[in-house]
Amino acid sequence: MHQLTPIAFPGRRGRAGLLALMMAGGAPAAMADASSTARGLWHEAIGEGYAELERDTRRLAEQAADYCHAPSPEGRASLESLWRDAYQAWQAVRFVNFGPIEQQSRGWQLQFWPDRKNLVGQKASIWLKADTPPNRQSIADDSVAIQGFPALEYLLFDDRMNSPDALAAPQACGLFSAITRHLETTTHQLHDDWQAFGDHYRETDTYTQATLEAGLQALETMETKRLAAPLGLSGKPANAYLAEAWRSRQSVLLIGASLAGLEQAYLPGLRPLLHQADQEGLYDDVAARLHQAQAGINEIVGDDIEGGIAHALEDPAAFSTLQGLYIDVSQLNWMGREIASALGIARGFNATDGD
Amino acid sequence: MWHRREFLKAALAGLGSLGLPPLGWAQSEPRGAWLWSAVDDAQGHQLIGYQPATGSHFRVSVPERCHSGCRRPGHSQIALFARRPGRSIHVLDGIEQRETARIEAGPDHHFYGHGAYSPDGRHLYATANRIEDGAGVIRVFAADDGYTLEGDIDLAGTGPHELRLMPDGQTLMVGLGGIRTHPDYGRVKLNLDDMAPALLRVDRTSGEILERHAPSHHQLSCRHLDVAPDGGVLAGYQFQGPAWERHPLLAYRDPRGEFTELVLPDDLTDELRHYIASVAMAPDAARALITAPRGHRVLLVDRDEKRLITSHHLPDAAGALPDGRGGFWVSSGHGALYSVPGDGSPPRRIDRLDLSWDNHLS
Repeated sequence: MHQLTPIAFPGRRGRAGLLALMMAGGAPAAMADASSTARGLWHEAIGEGYAELERDTRRLAEQAADYCHAPSPEGRASLESLWRDAYQAWQAVRFVNFGPIEQQSRGWQLQFWPDRKNLVGQKASIWLKADTPPNRQSIADDSVAIQGFPALEYLLFDDRMNSPDALAAPQACGLFSAITRHLETTTHQLHDDWQAFGDHYRETDTYTQATLEAGLQALETMETKRLAAPLGLSGKPANAYLAEAWRSRQSVLLIGASLAGLEQAYLPGLRPLLHQADQEGLYDDVAARLHQAQAGINEIVGDDIEGGIAHALEDPAAFSTLQGLYIDVSQLNWMGREIASALGIARGFNATDGD
Repeated sequence: MWHRREFLKAALAGLGSLGLPPLGWAQSEPRGAWLWSAVDDAQGHQLIGYQPATGSHFRVSVPERCHSGCRRPGHSQIALFARRPGRSIHVLDGIEQRETARIEAGPDHHFYGHGAYSPDGRHLYATANRIEDGAGVIRVFAADDGYTLEGDIDLAGTGPHELRLMPDGQTLMVGLGGIRTHPDYGRVKLNLDDMAPALLRVDRTSGEILERHAPSHHQLSCRHLDVAPDGGVLAGYQFQGPAWERHPLLAYRDPRGEFTELVLPDDLTDELRHYIASVAMAPDAARALITAPRGHRVLLVDRDEKRLITSHHLPDAAGALPDGRGGFWVSSGHGALYSVPGDGSPPRRIDRLDLSWDNHLS
């Protein structure tokens, strides 16, 4: 193996050059400090999010085992509730699109979406017709469409599963339990790997921009794919099946969890960067808007309008409420562009989705 | 569909082009040359022809995001390939400035975004996935017969990506990425635990695999490459394993066929975040340029001495192409086009368009 030795590799100077672009106007040392501080805060906050995801997924797996052993209506209700908790915990850290989540396509394992060909339904149907239930390993060896929260949602909420005892049947319950055990393993490894990734993340300057971009990308996806496309606000006809979690009608609840996750795990690192760029006002605006959007969602969920986009497409009042949410998220996305501009970054075209 | 044996018979019957002069380095054309790329702009997915000397350009709309392209020797055509898992190749005529042919991958196949013509321009080779069993193949099209499908070369592996013609005019170098995908699952990587990437040299008429070089780790996806006039090949990797591990990101196959991996300084390796996009070898100097969009950098390497000359910050560095004067054109996903000299001096921005250049210039 040859060792390439640099003649004039600019080393730290080059890294400061990137930061200079990120935060035009500040002094290089202060910029590097702010960037390093940001990564430290992000690593901790995202780590807490991964820990919660691991914890919630473990509880779900334990409850699944209990339910399959002794099914009861209360046990089933608890299962739904724990599935919702764990799915929300995933939404909170879903904006992180780099690092350990990329290993083994874990992000896709946790949530295969969009699913335009209903592969989740197809895969679940195949396993439901099998002679014996799968174990954790057979789920690990199968497709991402059967490995995550959407497959569990199918087993809990699909029309084919709507009789009270459908999930209690050995084949269905075994499948449900095997998926939860696979999820438990995946989220445990994800959390462990995030800790192992810590030093590298904190010491590598390009992760500052990668993390910034991840949050901005999440806002754009929320506006365009999670809301505009199913609601028909992007120039094409509305289609409720384009929404996430349409079977359980939890689309809006999940968006709320993503907003809460940005508040808990994205804002902490954003703050020192915008402070260094003399943009505290922008930080305050973003924080306030994030808060407002979540309050709006709590109202929707509290009013029991059902978080379902399908329902909103048939009910003008519900649609109008979701339009309000869409406007909040659009404004957050617009603020994301302001953040990018203030910090001198542009969202990577090839850096985030090259080939 | 032809299988390899039938394909071999057809090749021996006269489809081959042995004895033709070596590949012309179309990039080293005089002033007035055009660059070609896939781009996205506010109108959607486009292909662009751009003339660096004048800044004039034109765009052609296409229905999907495209990736790389190749010029047809002796013709004004350029083939631009849909990005994985796209199913079309768009053939533009540079003089007419429009799409003149569209090639479909055919049933049960999709393309990976790269290809090359034979030296006589009669055959077009495109890397593809046979979806049914995930087999990596090169689909061969008869350019002078309406781009009809001639057959497949089976690469005995998964996920072939960039493909380049060697100076012998007869063999192809292929970056076998090792990653399995399926159109039903979009861009999801389906086999990250059991990848088997390689750098291959393949005879384009017999289909025989003459060289197979395996990277030092099974998750080092050997994706992009370029070929120098002496037959030296520089390849770039994308590591698919733990983000905190450190692995070589470049490999060099020398003109004798010896394969080595090149190690960059540790802090530079870390900043590149395991991702090399384009590789360009200058035909007129011992220089190679490598783009690394996740690290927002370009690297300049002396390929004879296997030595890093320098690296420059360049936001979302994407496509790279020799400029015929010892330096390189480099595009950015942020819309700018740069001239990067071969002497190590900094990139000079020559234009900025309101679009995103995809990862390759042709």
